[in-house]
Amino acid sequence: MNFLLDLAIVTVSCLALGLASKYLRQASIPAYIIAGIILGRSGLDLISSDASYDFISWLGKIGVILLMFYIGLEFNYKGIKEPRRLFAGCTDFAVNFSVGFLLGIVIGLSLIEAFILASAVYISSSAIVISSLIENKRLIYPEAETVVWLMVFEDIILAILLVVLTSVMVGSLAMIPVSLAATLLLIVFILMLIRRLSNFIAPLFERDDEIPILLIFALIFGFSALAYLMGILLHCHISEVIVAFFLGSALAGVKSFRKLFGTIISFKNLFLTIFFFSFGMMFQFQFAALNSADFVLALLALIILSIVGKFISGAIIGKRLHGSLETGLRVGAYTTPRGEFSVVLIMVVMEIGILELLPSIELLLSLVVAYVIILSIMGSFFAKQGDKIGKAMMSVVNKLLPQAHR
Amino acid sequence: MRISELPEIGTKYEIESPKGDKVAVIFLTTGEIELYVLESDADKPSVTRLTSEEARRLGSVLTGALLTIEQEDIEVSFSEISDLRIHIHLCPVTKNVVGKSIEDLAIRKKTGVTVVAISRKGQSIVSPPPETVFEEGDLIVAVGKREQIKACQQVILGQG
Repeated sequence: MNFLLDLAIVTVSCLALGLASKYLRQASIPAYIIAGIILGRSGLDLISSDASYDFISWLGKIGVILLMFYIGLEFNYKGIKEPRRLFAGCTDFAVNFSVGFLLGIVIGLSLIEAFILASAVYISSSAIVISSLIENKRLIYPEAETVVWLMVFEDIILAILLVVLTSVMVGSLAMIPVSLAATLLLIVFILMLIRRLSNFIAPLFERDDEIPILLIFALIFGFSALAYLMGILLHCHISEVIVAFFLGSALAGVKSFRKLFGTIISFKNLFLTIFFFSFGMMFQFQFAALNSADFVLALLALIILSIVGKFISGAIIGKRLHGSLETGLRVGAYTTPRGEFSVVLIMVVMEIGILELLPSIELLLSLVVAYVIILSIMGSFFAKQGDKIGKAMMSVVNKLLPQAHR
Repeated sequence: MRISELPEIGTKYEIESPKGDKVAVIFLTTGEIELYVLESDADKPSVTRLTSEEARRLGSVLTGALLTIEQEDIEVSFSEISDLRIHIHLCPVTKNVVGKSIEDLAIRKKTGVTVVAISRKGQSIVSPPPETVFEEGDLIVAVGKREQIKACQQVILGQG
């Protein structure tokens, strides 16, 4: 057991593949997952011991916690209430969640598993979508705003899905309301407490020493521990990921907190990279399953239908908000990438999942991993070529329905 | 001017000319500023990224303060008062003034120029009191008419 060697393996391999992905102008998320797959359990198995696997997973978990904390911080309650944005968000959810859910049922997953698959398939990758909007110089166009607000809406849905999923996972039907109530109670408690203490903690965040960052981690881990203890007491599970999200949104209201954003982002980026690696590393590829025609068919169907789904929701949104089908198709292309949130969702579920509830967890997991890797790569391409794809699709539409657009 | 918020990206300020050209300024959360220009018939915008320092300079040009080429000199004029032209001049201290105060040098009495600020080791002293003593490496921000500034450079700083 030598953590130093293992950490060297993780950081060096991620650095190499990460750099390669930047040079190729690709999303880096799949690069880190692939590094994990190659070096971890189902690949070369270079990580020295079970303790090391646990250690790296733990570092990765900090990344997920910080990601959700950051999303909470950036979350904008007020802006999202605007009807146009709500319409766009709901359309996106209704179309794409249904696609995943129906396909899950068709390939023989249980209801809960289909729900998990639908969540992972619905949610786009804010990281890839937003960086590609900036890199591809789309910010001047009106649809950029629509896309960005769609990402915000997806963040709320993600929080809700996580609360629902962790509550449903408690095992017995009778426990679901208890679990749900406990989670909501804790959320309200965090929001109230931070608001109460806001005057007291605000000056602490203004200090120039180690106190502010220490305070943040103390709050995150403190509340997570509280959630854990409540979970044990009530025989349910309250995810620290949910705690982090709401803690972040509560702290966003504290004056002087903005100063710390840069620090949080650096910590988040580092640990999130380790998370993607650890996700790939723990993943046991079922090669038998992968080779089976059923698996390949299911994966293909998932990829095609989910891309079509985003284009349909994009088209509806574009037509309604911008009065243009072509703009809508571009919205579809920009929101195609999937990534970090799908992985986070599946990780949270895996951690607390009760196996009786998830009879086909192996299939589900393999599907989502393969899906995210492919869609993050394909998605970045779609996002980059958004205008060309929009134009090409419009010319097809115009040929098929020449009278509709006169 | 349309202002819109782009969560996780920044704030967008957008203006459209009567011809249909669009100009957008985006303040990114990273602190940098992106300037977009999209001509009405172009399919791609031109984009450049500025630091906040560069943006401030560009801003002062756009607001009409003319930046002349000689040293760092800004001429300010107001549309209401057309005959008033004030120069704001930035000059480094010389041997002649180091160790002396503004009062000792009688800058205003001799030349009519007012010292409005001193930049010292990256810190700015705005409206320095008359007893302020110049130190090696200071930058002086002086305000006056063009002739007054010139006089100040010759008589006080001992240049040209």
